[in-house]
Amino acid sequence: MSREDPVAELDRLATEAGVLAWVHARRLGPEPDAVDLDGDASVPMASLYKLPLAGCWSDLVAAGALDPTERVRLTATDRTPGPTGVSALLDDVEVSQRDAVRLMLTLSDNASAERLLDLVGADRLNGWLAARGAAATVVRRGTRASWRAVVTETGGGDLAEAPVRLADTDRDVETSEYDATLASATTAADLVTVLAAVWGEEHHGFVRDSLRLQAWRHRIGSGFPHDDVGIYAKTGTLGRLRHEAAVVEFPGEDPVAVAVLTKSARPETFQPRVDTAIGAMARVAVTALRRARV
Amino acid sequence: MVGVDLLRHLRFFVAVAEHRHFGHAAIALGMTQPPVSQGVQRLERRLGQRLFDRDARAVRLTEAGAALLPAARQLLQDADDLLARAQRWRPTSQVRLGLAEDLEDLVPTLLQALTADGWDCAPTVAGTVELVDGVRDGELDAAVVRHPAVVDGLRAGEVHRLPTYVAGAPPDPRDAPPMIVPPRRHHPAAHDQMVDALHRLGHSGTVIEAETMAERRAWAAAGHGVRLVLDPAQGRPVEDLPPLRVRVVTPLPADRRPGVDHDALVARLEESLP
Repeated sequence: MSREDPVAELDRLATEAGVLAWVHARRLGPEPDAVDLDGDASVPMASLYKLPLAGCWSDLVAAGALDPTERVRLTATDRTPGPTGVSALLDDVEVSQRDAVRLMLTLSDNASAERLLDLVGADRLNGWLAARGAAATVVRRGTRASWRAVVTETGGGDLAEAPVRLADTDRDVETSEYDATLASATTAADLVTVLAAVWGEEHHGFVRDSLRLQAWRHRIGSGFPHDDVGIYAKTGTLGRLRHEAAVVEFPGEDPVAVAVLTKSARPETFQPRVDTAIGAMARVAVTALRRARV
Repeated sequence: MVGVDLLRHLRFFVAVAEHRHFGHAAIALGMTQPPVSQGVQRLERRLGQRLFDRDARAVRLTEAGAALLPAARQLLQDADDLLARAQRWRPTSQVRLGLAEDLEDLVPTLLQALTADGWDCAPTVAGTVELVDGVRDGELDAAVVRHPAVVDGLRAGEVHRLPTYVAGAPPDPRDAPPMIVPPRRHHPAAHDQMVDALHRLGHSGTVIEAETMAERRAWAAAGHGVRLVLDPAQGRPVEDLPPLRVRVVTPLPADRRPGVDHDALVARLEESLP
């Protein structure tokens, strides 16, 4: 069934999970092939901006424009807050640019990501995206500005209250972070294009290794509970948005890049069933494209 | 007349193709074999193609039969769609209203209130996923559905929290037997939210899914579990029991059926919901 009509199966899984889903998967290799469910629709990207940001940074390093070992200081008082990585620490931290990239990709560290976005520049990042054929992706603001917008739009107050308000089960809480015309936005197909770019060139090895070290495996990874299958992935989460883009590599097979973007009907912060459904959707899309490396 | 015969004979063709046997096809069609065989022969003459190879043991599709089968199926499907559409079609003076099946006793209450106000309603009572699809496809003018549901692309009103009561549970919810509920596929997100709320209360979260209110009542009567009900007279309040969250959905203004006063309908529904 899933082999014959993966798109119908993706549709069924999305309905079954109570989400809207946008999926694109592409085999990276000599004869590319794709599976697509609304993969060209523009979707707010949450933390997924960190993926092209890493690719762009890596190209700037290769071009000699940035020094990967240069120290960046992330002070406790003015770095971007967040639940993980340097953002979750108490004291001042100094790391190299490349360690900041690693923290940004492995833990989705907001503090590192914000500083790297400042270093790279949103304009340069958007130019990089367009030049690689991901022109529907536009990074409009970093994490700090995104959350500032959420706080203002949901009634002001403390940053910590905003996620709680987004999770209100008794009303629809709207924010510009759910609006692809106002937030940083991408498409499932564009994310796959970005992954293909990162897979296409030798000098992105550091970015690929960092993606493989991502700390969690509850979404796309849950669809591939096999120790020998490489998952190189980056999540994005904000309110009802749960996303992940990954390259899935079975031993001896062409790698497959897949992006699963979702918006859930439920507003709650923790939704393991949706995370698992993202894994199931990735498995359906990837399975349809698996092929032995020639 | 010829056209109607064509559809009838195509139905025979598809049945025989599926069963690979005239007798079995006739049984499936609720007929005897001779008219089915004759019908297929007349269809073969009409189409100028032999559709089946018949011998004493088996019936096989010919190459022409296999090539024409998808088009035959499509034509039958289109005919069924036409009939279904004709059945559903209503003059604009009549509003096509969807009501979530788990509103249970509230369904007649809502319809009585609307009818008393002069609304002519053609009700559809179904699961939320089906109703939302109906509103999206323009087959319903409005629906009262469970929240949360995927309602993107529709106009959705405020969420109403309808308090629920347990019909027939022992005092401690942790001892509660399975909860008899509508099928999860009617509203996956709302179902999961309810199960999570039951877990949080210390209930096992075990549910029995039953299609209709009558069936849920039957399972409860047979002693297999308890039900969540909206009528306080039928049950007892339990602290922190999840409410039934519902909302009114309509097509976006640009997609609305002309001649129906959607805003007035929505206002009346909102007013009638507790």
